Amino acid sequence: MVPVTFFLALAAILFCIGLYGVLTRRHLVIVLVCIELMLNSVNINLVAFSAIGPFANITGQVFTLFVITVAAAEAAVGLAILIALYRNRNSIDVIKHDLLRW
Amino acid sequence: MTGQMIFFIIFALIAITGAVLIIALKRISHRVVSMAFSFMAVAGLYFLLGAEFIGIIQIMVYVGAITILFVFGMMMTDHRNISFGPDPRKWQQALSFVGVATLLGLMLYGISTLDMHESTQPFVGSVEAIGLELYGHYFIAFLGSAFLLTSALIGAIVIARKEAD
Repeated sequence: MVPVTFFLALAAILFCIGLYGVLTRRHLVIVLVCIELMLNSVNINLVAFSAIGPFANITGQVFTLFVITVAAAEAAVGLAILIALYRNRNSIDVIKHDLLRW
Repeated sequence: MTGQMIFFIIFALIAITGAVLIIALKRISHRVVSMAFSFMAVAGLYFLLGAEFIGIIQIMVYVGAITILFVFGMMMTDHRNISFGPDPRKWQQALSFVGVATLLGLMLYGISTLDMHESTQPFVGSVEAIGLELYGHYFIAFLGSAFLLTSALIGAIVIARKEAD
């Protein structure tokens, strides 16, 4: 059996790649994709602990279902905001949308 | 090296390669395809862990629905313009790389020093067990997610439609 630390290390690597993408990419679609990647890496942790953790039970898989639900809702609303933003401001560059920046 | 280890290494390499290609590729459509590959590899990891139901849901929701959603979002916006010109945030890029690398190093150090007694026999959860738990302990949260999905549906339609004259 693969040790649970390997899954944790893989999830940490995916999370950090997603975080770097969110912080540095300029295309709004790619920022949303990287947020999905971060949520997915958290799901790997939950399922790994649910299967081979110290207290293995079904709760991790139930929470994974909730995380997938929230991620789907987030993607739908995020892309709707993106389309409205592109229609009104005619750009999807992150840097150009700094109206709310202090 | 057991067969599970070999499959874990294959899936992990596909997932990490897909994630890196999301950052590195130029065209937006190629990036979305590499995202689909990465999510597919994560679904394979779920199958490896004995969570078949979550794996199927991952393929249906992430690889099926969310990827198509992103493809539509990409097509409705400016996808031919693949470069926004020179980036004025050079310092921020370097700083965020250093910060993320530090975070990754700390997390990997913490994981490598983790002392945890693992169960040798993997726990295999059935769909029936998930259903009983979902409709038993987490019924309120289940109803909440239903409300969340409904409000997200209505909100997405209201936000994305053209302003009525």
